[in-house]
Amino acid sequence: MPIISVEHLTHLYNKGTPSQNTAIEDISVEIEKGELVGIIGHTGSGKSTLVQHLNGLLKPDSGKVLIDGKDIVNDKKAAREACFKVGLCFQYPEYQLFEETVEKDIAFGPKNMKLPEDEIKKRVVRAAAFVGLKPELLEKSPFDLSGGEKRRAAIAGVIAMEPQVLILDEPTAGLDPSGRDKILGMIKNYREQTGSTVLLVSHSMEDIAKIATKVLVMNCGKIEMYGSVDEVYSQSGRLREIGLNVPQVSKIFDILRQNGLKLDNAYTVDRAVELITKAAANK
Amino acid sequence: MIKDITIGQYFIGDSVLHRMDARMKIVLVIAYIVSVFLCKNFWSLGLMVAFSAICILISKIPFKMVLKSLRPIVIIVLITSILNLFYVRGGTALVDWHFIHITTKGVYTAIFMSVRIISLVAISSLLTYTTTPTALTDALERLMAPLKLFKVPVSTLAMMMTLALRFIPTLVEEIERITNAQKARGADISNGGFIDRIKALIPIIVPLFISAIRRAYELADAMDCRCYTGGPGRTRMKQMKLNSRDFVSAAAVAIFIAAVVLLNIRFGAVLA
Repeated sequence: MPIISVEHLTHLYNKGTPSQNTAIEDISVEIEKGELVGIIGHTGSGKSTLVQHLNGLLKPDSGKVLIDGKDIVNDKKAAREACFKVGLCFQYPEYQLFEETVEKDIAFGPKNMKLPEDEIKKRVVRAAAFVGLKPELLEKSPFDLSGGEKRRAAIAGVIAMEPQVLILDEPTAGLDPSGRDKILGMIKNYREQTGSTVLLVSHSMEDIAKIATKVLVMNCGKIEMYGSVDEVYSQSGRLREIGLNVPQVSKIFDILRQNGLKLDNAYTVDRAVELITKAAANK
Repeated sequence: MIKDITIGQYFIGDSVLHRMDARMKIVLVIAYIVSVFLCKNFWSLGLMVAFSAICILISKIPFKMVLKSLRPIVIIVLITSILNLFYVRGGTALVDWHFIHITTKGVYTAIFMSVRIISLVAISSLLTYTTTPTALTDALERLMAPLKLFKVPVSTLAMMMTLALRFIPTLVEEIERITNAQKARGADISNGGFIDRIKALIPIIVPLFISAIRRAYELADAMDCRCYTGGPGRTRMKQMKLNSRDFVSAAAVAIFIAAVVLLNIRFGAVLA
């Protein structure tokens, strides 16, 4: 059974006013347990709207959302459970920090789950370790942290709920390259160690190529493609048509192939280096 | 609750009222408010209600939206009419039982006051529905321009007002975003007792204040960068020009006020 199953989901914004517009239209998709799905699409394609349905924050105008087989649209109890089963971390999550100390802030989610004190403590320490926050930072005020640390503290706040599905909306937006790599590495580790499903909304085709197992491409409120990284990234013509770009390395590889070199596809710099060294060694 | 705030809630449209000069709209709304209190008998009151209804129809604002703007004043209207009903004495007595005394004058005052308050709010909200906040403050600045003679910093005040109005939707959006983020962490803001609910606001209010202050600093920097020094010498991007439709509407309001006065004289006053 898929962990997330979306059936004919439609959502309108500003329904009944002149500014009404369709955010997503008749979307159906199934996501299997343990996948790391990269969701990609240009601004306004409905990515954020889609993920906000998965933990019951938004109610669809029509259609169904099943989490672990339970309908979270009509069943109130399932909706409340979904809130903890599906951890959603918004864009710029550092703007949600509010507590006096980082520790208390990370504990906010687990506390709302009504877990016992010692369990909350354990989870806070675990979550902080996952995102790579040093233990001494836990006693600090979240507002004294650096930008990247704030971001990681906020993500720890969601991870501490230990959701079965972790959704991150643009977790690397506005970070420097090293902050970016840290977060991506952390997401990858999290999935590998806990076996949870992860959905990563991103603008960066490179980031997704690095860690995703599957890619979901959205365009104008609909699903354009859903498949493995290879399946999706090989359709570079169609991707370009809908305003997306394949990673720069793949473009170079396309040109190399056109010039008669026999090379496999590469979407990340690491993979490209690997392929080129191999090709050079064989010559 | 947040979405009930209708101040600065411009409703996109293309009616005559939308296209009118904002200065004229403000002046006419003030004239209208005066006329609301001039109505002294049911004939003039009826005319006033009809005139308001026509304005709403012309604006093409859905009736539902107008009703929404009235929601916050329901209690005020109820309380004033109840007080008027029981405490205004005069005319013939309708009920005279123990301590309850209702007189015709009380009934009339109650009706007049509630109709007046309702039309007043309906028409003022029509002004904000059909005028963008920027046009509104721009117009206010021009109308208050004579105050500059008395060293009132009119343009600075207008700028402050523009900024305040400009940030209402932004902050509303911000509240929604923070609320969603905290809900995603399991915050329960709509259940529980009074104290619980107030406590539940902390995770929303703290980030809201922080972001509002951050925005204020950023805005100040941005204005500095563009060499904003306030007041004198600033020119405008949009020039305001009175049009034939503005004069026609002014004439319509003038005729309406004259008609109210005439009806008052012709049929006498119900209220002394």
